Amino acid sequence: MIQVKNLSVYRGKKAILNDVSASLVAGKKLAVLGPNGAGKSTLLKCISQEISDYHGDIQLENQSLSEWPALQRARSLAVMPQKVELTFPFRAHQVVAMGRAPYGDENQSDELIRQAMLCTDVWHLRDRPYPLLSGGEQQRVQLARVLLQIWQPNHDAGRAGIQQRYLLLDECTSALDPAHQHAIMTLADQFADQGVAVLAVMHDVALAASWADEILILKQGEVLASGDRDLLSQGDVLQQAYDLDMALASQYARQNQQWLEFR
Amino acid sequence: MQLARRLSVLPRVQFSFAWQVGLLVITFIFLFLLALASGPISMDVSQVLQSLANALVGADIQSQADWVIRELRLPRAVMAMLIGAGLAVAGVVTQGIFRNPLADPGLIGVSSGAALAAVAVIVLSNSWLAFWVQLTGTFALPLAAFLGAMAVSLLIYRLGTINGQTQIAMLLLAGVAINVITGALTGILTYVADDQQLRSMTFWSMGSLAYGRWPEISALFLCVLLPLLALPKFSRLLNALLMGEAVASHLGFQVQRGKFILLAAAALMVGAGVAVAGMIGFIGLVVPHLMRLMLGPDHRQLLPASMVCGAALLLLADLIARTWLAPADIPVGLVMAILGGPVFLLLLMQQIKTVRSS
Repeated sequence: MIQVKNLSVYRGKKAILNDVSASLVAGKKLAVLGPNGAGKSTLLKCISQEISDYHGDIQLENQSLSEWPALQRARSLAVMPQKVELTFPFRAHQVVAMGRAPYGDENQSDELIRQAMLCTDVWHLRDRPYPLLSGGEQQRVQLARVLLQIWQPNHDAGRAGIQQRYLLLDECTSALDPAHQHAIMTLADQFADQGVAVLAVMHDVALAASWADEILILKQGEVLASGDRDLLSQGDVLQQAYDLDMALASQYARQNQQWLEFR
Repeated sequence: MQLARRLSVLPRVQFSFAWQVGLLVITFIFLFLLALASGPISMDVSQVLQSLANALVGADIQSQADWVIRELRLPRAVMAMLIGAGLAVAGVVTQGIFRNPLADPGLIGVSSGAALAAVAVIVLSNSWLAFWVQLTGTFALPLAAFLGAMAVSLLIYRLGTINGQTQIAMLLLAGVAINVITGALTGILTYVADDQQLRSMTFWSMGSLAYGRWPEISALFLCVLLPLLALPKFSRLLNALLMGEAVASHLGFQVQRGKFILLAAAALMVGAGVAVAGMIGFIGLVVPHLMRLMLGPDHRQLLPASMVCGAALLLLADLIARTWLAPADIPVGLVMAILGGPVFLLLLMQQIKTVRSS
């Protein structure tokens, strides 16, 4: 379990995150929503330790996140960034293989690499140079790499190690077509069913309604609303979150209601 | 676009890694023996091998031929190997850190920092820096160049790192600024230099292997070999860094610490090379490119292959420098520029093509 407690991040005098609390529970899927610049990615970057000068505390299994050794953390917490630029002509399978870097067995993991690449539907691209893939293909290759990082439960971590697995997705479906979007989210479902805690920063409210267990809505660095997924079928919440027209907001809310019933 | 994709896969004929490196090593050994055998007096291969054996067991000089090989050609060849290997690997490392296949130690100002320090020692050895020369003796020049390279590396590292994250654009622009500043300072020093100093500076700034003797080489040996031995441990970090520092840290690497060590290793190799042989460009740019075309971008293979290829390339360039207009000894930096410039342009055009077609 990851607990974010009263997290604040300042850039200059401006607070880009202000007193945010959240928790990430094993087997649960949390969608982080909010308008542009609300601090969604900042929150994710704090949890992935890209940002370390935050105030407040983030606890990973009852120990401060920064106290865990980096390598141990990498074996149980995987992060899918918005975009990964790679100008050097690595083959797709070489990129995926780097997901085994925390274990140091990139060369002995051919079968795992194949499974991960099949999962994200990129096995047929394995020998293609990464920079020549399309944006969506690149995203799926990256996702295979990220999933490979936490592919199996941490059996050898021991009692002192991190027990659960965590997956952080930063708008990872932005360049995907609807079929692949839902395929990827279904994949995240499968991981959640195995007990992986999933946090996804999302822009697509409908996709969130079709997928998430819990919702966290940020606005201007503060928590606007958090709770059950039913939150998304409430027009006034959407109206406040995105400063939408009330008519538009209730239209979105109705649509989300349909998605919630569709599941 | 489909065609372009297919074409981009085709030219890279895949032999196994072992074969390719084997080929490189054989080329390298051939060039090494050729370098020892050729010159104003041609030697037999048997004489070369005999002298090498003598040098290895530390026997006394036995003949004039033995002396020529062991005291004139061998130090020069060893120096070419070390500097070539060091510059090529430093190129691989900086290109990896800056995620830019065109980045090289010359670009971020490390070489010119080393050069400025060395020129300062040459010109000011009788005045402001007299204490330095007294203190360090024959090591005044190499030590100063290394310190210059190190200082620029640290400065540029500080300038480019904001909130613990390196801003690549800032780093490269800072490199441009540092090149301008050190260039100007070197120019001012040139003005106040006397004739004798100017002469040694000119040779040195064009890059030449003509002045290496065993004492300089032993220092060079340490400065190049230590980083070379340490670097394979960092090849996986370099691979991950190509996807960005954030991704590398997600994968559990100690990014900031590793980056610092890598920068220091590159500075050490570049500084040592500049101190002994002056500015020799293009090796750090051309060799990694060629090796990437042959082997792909994986640093676990790129680092050792670039080491061998860099050594071989500078041996070849120096061989041309010594023998082309013999008895004149052309600065090897000029030969490298003539060899490397066109290759660099070709690579550049190739890169623009792939960018356009994708």
